[in-house]
Amino acid sequence: MRIGDAKQTYLADEAIWTSSTQKIWFALLLAALLAFPFMASSYLLYLGCLVGIAVISTTGLNILTGYTGLISLGQAGFMGVGAYTVAWLSLNTGLPFPVTLLLAGLVAAAVGVLVGLPSLRVKGLYLAIATLAASVFLHFIFAEWEPVTGGMEGLSLQPAHLFGLEFRSDFAMYFIIVPLAILALLAAKNLFRTRVGRAFIAIRDRDISAEILGIPLLKYKLMSFALSSFYAGVAGGLFAYFYRVVTPESFPLSMSIFYLAAVIVGGMGNLLGGILGAAFMTLVPEALKLLTAVMTPIWPNAPVFMSPMLEIIFGALIVGFLIFEPHGLAEIWRRIRRFFHLWPFRS
Amino acid sequence: MFNQLMQKGRRLAGIGSVVAALGLAAPVMAQDKDPIVFGGSIPLSGVFAFAGIHLHAGLTDYTNWLNDQGGINGHPVEYIMEDTAYEVDRSVAAFKKISGNENLATYYGDSTGFMKAIASEVNEMNSVLMSGASFATALTNNETYPYQFIPGPNYTQMFGIILEYIASQGEDGDMPTVAFVYSDTEFGKDPIENGKARAAELGIEVVEEIVTKPGSVDVSAEVLKMRRARPDYVVFHGYILSPINEFMVQMRQMGLDTQFMGTFWSSDKLIIDKMGEDADGYMGVMPYNYYDSEESGPMLDALRAQAEKSDPEAGYRPTGYMQGWFNAMVWTEVVKRTLDAGKELTGENMAEALASIEDWDTGGIIGIPVTVKDMSFPVGRIWRVNASEGRYEPVSDWIHLD
Repeated sequence: MRIGDAKQTYLADEAIWTSSTQKIWFALLLAALLAFPFMASSYLLYLGCLVGIAVISTTGLNILTGYTGLISLGQAGFMGVGAYTVAWLSLNTGLPFPVTLLLAGLVAAAVGVLVGLPSLRVKGLYLAIATLAASVFLHFIFAEWEPVTGGMEGLSLQPAHLFGLEFRSDFAMYFIIVPLAILALLAAKNLFRTRVGRAFIAIRDRDISAEILGIPLLKYKLMSFALSSFYAGVAGGLFAYFYRVVTPESFPLSMSIFYLAAVIVGGMGNLLGGILGAAFMTLVPEALKLLTAVMTPIWPNAPVFMSPMLEIIFGALIVGFLIFEPHGLAEIWRRIRRFFHLWPFRS
Repeated sequence: MFNQLMQKGRRLAGIGSVVAALGLAAPVMAQDKDPIVFGGSIPLSGVFAFAGIHLHAGLTDYTNWLNDQGGINGHPVEYIMEDTAYEVDRSVAAFKKISGNENLATYYGDSTGFMKAIASEVNEMNSVLMSGASFATALTNNETYPYQFIPGPNYTQMFGIILEYIASQGEDGDMPTVAFVYSDTEFGKDPIENGKARAAELGIEVVEEIVTKPGSVDVSAEVLKMRRARPDYVVFHGYILSPINEFMVQMRQMGLDTQFMGTFWSSDKLIIDKMGEDADGYMGVMPYNYYDSEESGPMLDALRAQAEKSDPEAGYRPTGYMQGWFNAMVWTEVVKRTLDAGKELTGENMAEALASIEDWDTGGIIGIPVTVKDMSFPVGRIWRVNASEGRYEPVSDWIHLD
């Protein structure tokens, strides 16, 4: 049961962690994240890294779609820009990963600004199509700008490195990906405590009203695109270091839909929703495979029949969430927390 | 001593040859030895599932058949797979899961994307030999992919075989002309540049080159280009069915007497099932004998018997089944050669064993003895659809590229 957290100052009201309970839980989470790679199998470690990359990209898309209300189907394209930037820099300059990732984010942000230009004139489905077009255009560049992107064969790159240390294994990459994911989340959390973040939300809620309140729409919409693409670029850069190969087909349209689904399933305009959505979309298909594993000993042909079924179950789960919990997994999580606020005295 | 050795190494597979070397030739029950594990990222769902279920059946049936024969040097063989939905990240997850739990020797990769993404890890592990559904030319680059091989000719070599066949149909000074139609994908573009170079060497003029989306339906504008170019042969690549059927029907309606050809993944019964009589005359390059061909051989007969045994209702088994079976056959040969040489089952040793395959009799799966070159089997044959019989029939001898 949580009591005695009445806020007495505005500063306390605005704090990210408002109670010692939260701080303890957060510390425990960090400890668990730190301990995880030492205990997890290579398979779980790989999934952990995948979720980390997905969290960064989903958070980026959440800033744009969830907080600013600008729908985008270009996330995979922006990730591709980041991935190719890292691959090219790694092959041609040998720069350490913090620099390449930062540049990947910046290049993706610049592309994001360009793609975001139509957002002043179009929104909703029209903007989705505009970003889709950008995604197709970027894919074309990845495939055809052979001197830089390696064409359809793509680029293979060396492992991430810093001060002579090489980050070859998933274990090593985990210690890049997860801290960056935490940093990205903290940055996003702080963003929405600033004027910029609040402007995004105002634009989402009613852009005309926001403009009347003195928020320059173009500037803030482009800023949202830039930030979102920066996140995507960093996530794409991590993707490149993680797999050490980048091809045009690494970033299909389905990947953009994956991230949009993660934002929606997790809960739009909610950072926790982004984390839960990314984890859900990445882990549930894997978790569902356990059903097959359980059935195979008694039914050897289970994989053949169960595998397509699992795809249907996964799809049904997404539809189910949209119908029964439109506010996403974050809302379910919030209800669970509320239940425990007064537990065991009242449930 | 036997038990001590059993406990020693991670790679126990060498024990068979040690025992043999010591002259302890007493038969050892297969279950007494550690299993050799074949792993696989198999697309049982997703866009490639149509082939994935047959690849899986081929791999499963071969493994069962092999175990009935006593395994490999007395080691039983286990085939452990996961569905991937034909997505690279899930294929990698499957690999991590299986390689983390099992002492993997060989692995089936479901896509070129996966094979590339996993390459750095496979190279560092140096304990797994990999092949799979991909015939990508890039994978025969032994420097980048030293432990991955192609279970047949790569796409460039398939084009080489097709072009040799086309060249054989012409005479000096009167070579047939050809057009390439390929999809706008890594798969589609793979052999085109090399194919054009090979055509030039053979004196075949490439009169048209058309790029489409895979599965595209409206190709009327492209067909008009074909009418102007009037190629003797059109070679399709990077498709499963559409737009091959569209091109064939529309070009024939225009009265063109062009012949149509395709590569591995577009040379199965699907084209006959979907097009019926219109498929007549379509030609494909295939490194394996078709399940319902008139060819025979001890292994091909064993394959048919095993297929019949595992699923008597299934009838014809598609080329994916043959491909799965052949992959596992090569793995078996490689593991056996490595064990016989008294070596550990490392990636390096297995790659070396693979490279040593020369004039290998595949028991009728491939019609002639085959030799590995650059981690591939550069051999194939041109087959033509006989629509009334509902099957492919050979129209060329086996072509082994040098």
